Amino acid sequence: MSVRAISVRRTSSPLHDRPHTRRLDQVDPYLLIATLLLIAYGLVMTYAVTVESRTLTGDPMQYVIRGALWASIGLAVMVTVAMFDYAWLGTFAPVLYLATLGLLALVMFIGVSSLGAQRSVNFAGMSFQFSEVAKVLMIVVLAKFFADRIDKIGSPITIALALAILGPAFVLVYRQPDLGTSLVFVAIFFGMAFMAGARIWQLVGMVALAGAASPLIWGLLKPYQQARLTAFIDPYADPQGAGWNIIQSLIAVGSGGPTGKGLTAGTQSPLGYLPIAESDFVFAGLAEDLGFVGAVILFALFIVLLMAALRIAFRARDPFGMLLASGVVAMLVFQIMVNVGMAISLMPVTGIPLPFISHGGSSLVSICFALGVLQSVSMRRAGPELG
Amino acid sequence: MRNTSRDFVRPNRFLALGLVIVVIFTGLTARLWDLQLVNGGHYRDLAEQNRVLRLPVEAERGMIIDRNGKVLARNLPGFAITVIPVDLPRAKQAALAQSLGVLVGREASDVAKAIDAQRVRNPYEPVKISLRPVARDVALLLTERGEMFPGVRVEAESIRHYEDAVLYSPLLGYVGPVTEEEFTALREKGYLQTDLIGRTGLESVYESYLRGGYGWREIERDAAQREIKQLAYSPPTVGNSVRLTIDHRLQLLIEGELKKGVDEDKFTQAVGIAMNPQNGEILAMYSNPGYDNNWFINGITPEQMKQLNSDDRRPLVNKAIGDIYPPGSTFKMVTGLSALNEGVANRGTTVNVNSMVLNVGGYLFYDWMAHGRVDFVNGFAHSSDIYFYTLGGGNPNTGQRGVGPEAIYKYGSELGFGSKTGIDLPGEAAGIMPSPEWKVRTFDEEWTIGNTYHESIGQGFVAVTPLQLLNAYAIVANGGTFYQPHLLKEVVDQQGKVVFTQEPKVVREVSITKDNLRLLRESARRVVTIGHAYMPNAKLPIAGKTGTAEFGASAGKDSVGRNKLGFHNWFVSFLPKADNTDPSAEIAMVIFTFDSSRSLCNNCFNPAVGITQRVLEAYVAGKP
Repeated sequence: MSVRAISVRRTSSPLHDRPHTRRLDQVDPYLLIATLLLIAYGLVMTYAVTVESRTLTGDPMQYVIRGALWASIGLAVMVTVAMFDYAWLGTFAPVLYLATLGLLALVMFIGVSSLGAQRSVNFAGMSFQFSEVAKVLMIVVLAKFFADRIDKIGSPITIALALAILGPAFVLVYRQPDLGTSLVFVAIFFGMAFMAGARIWQLVGMVALAGAASPLIWGLLKPYQQARLTAFIDPYADPQGAGWNIIQSLIAVGSGGPTGKGLTAGTQSPLGYLPIAESDFVFAGLAEDLGFVGAVILFALFIVLLMAALRIAFRARDPFGMLLASGVVAMLVFQIMVNVGMAISLMPVTGIPLPFISHGGSSLVSICFALGVLQSVSMRRAGPELG
Repeated sequence: MRNTSRDFVRPNRFLALGLVIVVIFTGLTARLWDLQLVNGGHYRDLAEQNRVLRLPVEAERGMIIDRNGKVLARNLPGFAITVIPVDLPRAKQAALAQSLGVLVGREASDVAKAIDAQRVRNPYEPVKISLRPVARDVALLLTERGEMFPGVRVEAESIRHYEDAVLYSPLLGYVGPVTEEEFTALREKGYLQTDLIGRTGLESVYESYLRGGYGWREIERDAAQREIKQLAYSPPTVGNSVRLTIDHRLQLLIEGELKKGVDEDKFTQAVGIAMNPQNGEILAMYSNPGYDNNWFINGITPEQMKQLNSDDRRPLVNKAIGDIYPPGSTFKMVTGLSALNEGVANRGTTVNVNSMVLNVGGYLFYDWMAHGRVDFVNGFAHSSDIYFYTLGGGNPNTGQRGVGPEAIYKYGSELGFGSKTGIDLPGEAAGIMPSPEWKVRTFDEEWTIGNTYHESIGQGFVAVTPLQLLNAYAIVANGGTFYQPHLLKEVVDQQGKVVFTQEPKVVREVSITKDNLRLLRESARRVVTIGHAYMPNAKLPIAGKTGTAEFGASAGKDSVGRNKLGFHNWFVSFLPKADNTDPSAEIAMVIFTFDSSRSLCNNCFNPAVGITQRVLEAYVAGKP
């Protein structure tokens, strides 16, 4: 077919893509619908835990208004990113890598301290958490790296080089200090290496090595991080101190019962028993207000989103697209597991936001960017004519 | 060319990742099942218990009493309005700040700011909104219409009240609310944002004794945050009472004389202090004008503040310790003791004062009369200026030697001039005890003999606080011991047990011989029996020394039309137990009248002398 010959020539360059209409057909509807519902759910929860809060000051609606603003920005970013062929990202991967390190270094030098850590940069009256952006950029960089070496994926050199790429970003985030986010980087690495086809024994070996070095790692942790881990094992050892968050969070979740106390009717968040109720402990507020049912609905939306993302990875036209989607899945799964796990005392306390639900513009926009990339992968997937 | 091979997709690994996701969500769901469905009731109970609130219970501040138990500062019951931020939904905050602001007389924005600050600090602790005690009807309104005022509490509060406010304000000072700035540091010491703290005077100096310790109570509240019942109670520790060395009866006698004099415009300001020379206890301390320290408790109004600030007599300053004046002839005691102790003079040293003027190198130094030939006792008793010019600076015309300014500086400093006495009050002035070295340092000028002459009779550079002058005479009266003046007698706890007793504190023994001090006591007694401070119908063996200082313009009126005459009269005295020269006096007193009117001074009987006689006679006669 003559058409096919042209198409092959064009798609060899990312500038010449397939016709527009063809691509819109291949937008993943499950991913899109789950995304929109999760964003809406997040806004509802932001409203629920902030509007009645007795510990926050200022206009009670300010968090919701800001959340809605960020959501619109996020959606615009998502649509824009989906328009372009994700191959562009591969072209610019080295630049993106330098940008990642630059942003993280910026936080180190001009960042604002809050709650003992220097994690955000204030600009134009807003606060940016560049590590949220860095996570997504790191997915792009690693995807490009693994995709280029997909034939030599079994080589230890590939893994070693990938670790060398990850290292600087990991250290910069860890030094903020933000142990939680630095662990997200590790999760992204493992998820992508696994999906790229790295040898299982290499991955298992690295985990075993980390396990063997754990006494050493324990010594590197700051006292408050150690306290959080101890409190995770036994929150009632220091119920007024390190264990306080965990106990109050468990009380919030447990007291929600099957159907919850009703939106905004929870007491734990507004009365200030849950610290950073709009972000780190937002799941506890959700489980208190909306109960088991609300939590399960949230999980269902997450699963739809994740499975749709996996399907996109499965159907991607090239290794780069597959790895982009895999990295996003790894990131989201790890964040959900750690954040929800923390609220129900299955995980130690770390400051990792719950995707979509935690209030925070940097996180939401970064995720929207990632999902835009996923839609781009979906829209340019291997068509049936190629299968 | 596009890689059309699909080798990079490894279905097994997709399957594995999918399984991991399923396992994770299954685990989370199982845990939620356990928490919410199986143990939901348990956690619901725990959430209820979180509604238990722990509130501080105010501790009453200790009283301040005089040496005989007369109450000078007490606490009266009143009401305070507080807000607990966790009980106040933010949506209702603006409206509440508006309505509370009207009730307590504050700007709505200030009220909102205070609530916001507390939200950040600790939203479970009440923040005090009323700056002054609120009226009973306001308190009742807030209590009865509680649903209209979410988060608002009406607390019983004890209000500091000063009996005889104006009489004791220079000593007691007052308490005031802790400011936001101070609170950061005070919080460590157990202060609450709603706390009062001693602002000045003894309230400030003895804050740690007077302040009690908070108790607390735990209350259970329903979903509407109403108090259901009290679960636990720990009583507060009431602050200790401070017993002063002040004798209220003597204080009243001094006030009676001095206030009358000011009211009748015989002088514009006055100070009276009495102390026990044997231990440094201050028996009375009065400074007129004073101020009503209850104004500060009830929230001083701008009009009141303006009144205090526009009075050029500065009513907020305790003149007994906080301002310095020339001591006039009372300072001849220092000149005389210096000359005696350095061997330049003895009781037989005579000077022929046959003229009212001493001419030294063309400069004229005056006396107030030609006394004739006088010895030490008579020179002191009649307050001969030329006699003490001679003792201090010598007489070049006759070749008589003076003791010189260095010696006067030495003994003056030993007697406490030029440095703070260390009394337990804030705002004490050090005064000036000049020396040739001091003059060079201060004015870059050489000391002249004229400076010595002026200093010898208490004019020129020397400047003292009334307390310093009294203290110096108390040293003479007790035979040479400098006791640190103090107002604290003891600290008494709630049960009446004495927890601290202020022992007399010896600062130093002066290096003046006992005989010389005895000669000065004899001379001081002669001041009253034959000399400058003759007391008609004297009932007591009072000894003392007058002083008249004159400085500045002695004419016109002050800002509110009082006579401004520039004569300041001193009489500093002590009362030996018997009419002898033994160092037995248990009371010494200084009376200082500022801007004494001319009519009183023309016949030159110093008003302070008569006041002293009347006060001491009434005090001794009325002694129980």
